[in-house]
Amino acid sequence: MGFHIVKRENCPWWQRLILYVAAVLIALGLGAVVLLFMGVDPIEYYYQMFTMGTVGNRIAYKTFMNYLKEFVPLALTATALSLAFKMRFWNIGGEGQFIMGSIAAAFVVFRFGPVLPMWLTLVLMCLAAMLVAGLYGSIAGVLKVKFGTNETLLTLMLNYVALYVLNFIGETKADWNFFLQEQSARPVFKNFSSIAAFPQFALGGKFQLNLCVILTFAVGALVFIYLKYTKQGYEVSVVGDSLGSARYAGMKTGWVILRTVFLSAALIGLAAAFKVGTAGVLSTSITDDVGWTGITVAWLAQLYTPMIFLVSALICVLQHGSMVAAATFSQVDSSFANMLQGAILFLVLAADFYTRFRLARVKKGEKKNG
Amino acid sequence: MDKLSIITSFIHSIIVMNIPLLYGTVGEILVEKSGSLNLGVEGTMAVGAVIGYICGCWANSLGVGILTAFVMGALCGLIFAVLTVSLQANQNITGLTLTTFGLGVYFFVGNALRSAKAFPTMNDYDSIRAGFEDIPIPLLSKIPVIGPGLFSHNILVYLGIAIAVLVWWYLKHTSPGLRLRSIGENPAAADSVGISVNRNKYLHICLGCGIMGIGGYYMSLYMSGSFNSNCWINGYGWIAVALVIFANWNPALAIVGTFVFGFFNTLRVSGPSLAVAFPGALGWLAGIPTQLYQALPFIITAIVLVVTSLRGNKFSSGLPAALGLNYFREER
Repeated sequence: MGFHIVKRENCPWWQRLILYVAAVLIALGLGAVVLLFMGVDPIEYYYQMFTMGTVGNRIAYKTFMNYLKEFVPLALTATALSLAFKMRFWNIGGEGQFIMGSIAAAFVVFRFGPVLPMWLTLVLMCLAAMLVAGLYGSIAGVLKVKFGTNETLLTLMLNYVALYVLNFIGETKADWNFFLQEQSARPVFKNFSSIAAFPQFALGGKFQLNLCVILTFAVGALVFIYLKYTKQGYEVSVVGDSLGSARYAGMKTGWVILRTVFLSAALIGLAAAFKVGTAGVLSTSITDDVGWTGITVAWLAQLYTPMIFLVSALICVLQHGSMVAAATFSQVDSSFANMLQGAILFLVLAADFYTRFRLARVKKGEKKNG
Repeated sequence: MDKLSIITSFIHSIIVMNIPLLYGTVGEILVEKSGSLNLGVEGTMAVGAVIGYICGCWANSLGVGILTAFVMGALCGLIFAVLTVSLQANQNITGLTLTTFGLGVYFFVGNALRSAKAFPTMNDYDSIRAGFEDIPIPLLSKIPVIGPGLFSHNILVYLGIAIAVLVWWYLKHTSPGLRLRSIGENPAAADSVGISVNRNKYLHICLGCGIMGIGGYYMSLYMSGSFNSNCWINGYGWIAVALVIFANWNPALAIVGTFVFGFFNTLRVSGPSLAVAFPGALGWLAGIPTQLYQALPFIITAIVLVVTSLRGNKFSSGLPAALGLNYFREER
């Protein structure tokens, strides 16, 4: 008796949902076993993690505001990456583009912030970050279109080049280096939250909604419309599905790729500007790994923008919640979140298989295949 | 310290500091030659490092450590293989997830033991410490200046070079090696002549990841098992991914590449002391920012990538043609 794998055309949404929920539950179950082994009650731990300790907490609004600070860069970066992935352009250079964008944003603040009105500084900051990140991403785009250079490996290399540029700025005390505090003898990034910070709106009680959150949802909606209803968005999906058909249909494929890669990287730059503009200070770990996490988020959400926002929200609960829970359960390190996230992703990837394929029994007399 | 001994210790450091790169690179070459791009090198090495180190210490045996690290690495490879070969998952995503997961395991296990005051200290385990000591090669190590630098190393250095040569010979001169390369180039063609694609992919992914695991274990011993918030692997896995390209997917060239990248990596650490010892000839070394050394492997690799793609078909690149693509039999 044998099996072979058959492609299935469409998997009903409820089956998909069951599979994904089952995958997540199994992963949480495995995590529970680890927690039990550590002598921690898994139900209590998960309760702390998923509520992020907000229940019955007087500063719950603060937790939620911090949560949104993590959500904004991740959701925006994943949305941006999905543009490139739709075209099968493997931009794994989100980290590098984010870093370049944040350097550009900080540059604008330090250079022009003191003389310009704040709203203009913020606008310029976003534009500069988008331009620089977009150009940095375009390096791989141009080389891919011109010479067929492998974009996965090239963007990977450029991530580290950007990281060490940032480290260089952050660790070099010099007269030209206006990114650092002048008073400190050791190199420390200068805080600029008094020069430029995104405005916040009070929404009942002490909760303040940052402008970035609203803008992020707006950009998400625009990208959704762009991909679904515009000619350019249509071109992106045709190039992704079949380069040959796109050429045959008379599309300028090289131009489509370049345009989309620039847009993708520029939006990552915007995410960086939002991050820098809310944090008020650079740091060598400014990205919080969103360039990496964003890739998995975009893929898990199957490049579907509303799903990307949902998955980002869940991943952030996992990460932020485990930090909160680590305060209560000191024996469980916050790296538990990464382990759990890995396990969830592995199982969801496995579940994904069953939405795309099914196992068919090999009938008697038929030859075994695969 | 006299000036010559500074040169000797510089040469010595180039090798001992950077051998994990060779393990990672040779392992990744085996994996990539089967047509799979595994971006989980960093995570695989981290898992091999922490679990190999702990088990090795508990058993007070270097052999147990090496074996555990290998098995742990191979298990990471197995996860990757099940997902990408059998379940057709995207290789980039699976690899990146493996890195997240592996680093999660690394810090989770390490911090759990550390907070329970049970993290082993290498100094307490005499046979691990003795096993990691340098073994001079007779005669060769007596050559002045370069002898003690090049020919007096711990057993894992020799093992790493032996593995690299062995894998080179395997890929180039044996028929299983030829079959493996054919899978990386064109799995459908390999399948049609009766080569079992999936079995070969599983085998070589696990084997390659096992080798990476040993590289991680090396790093744990090199750091004398001092566990803190900086990962032992600290980006070596990513440099290994770059080094595979630099070495043009050739394990023998990987040895050369390790020393080229290692040269810069070591200069970052030893540059200042060289500048002090030879102020006339090498004084300028003190002025170079350390970040440039750190970025150089990636800059060089990016240039190599671009240049090889410029030359197009005229240059015989070792890049497996089917790298990164999953093989689904019914789509051939």
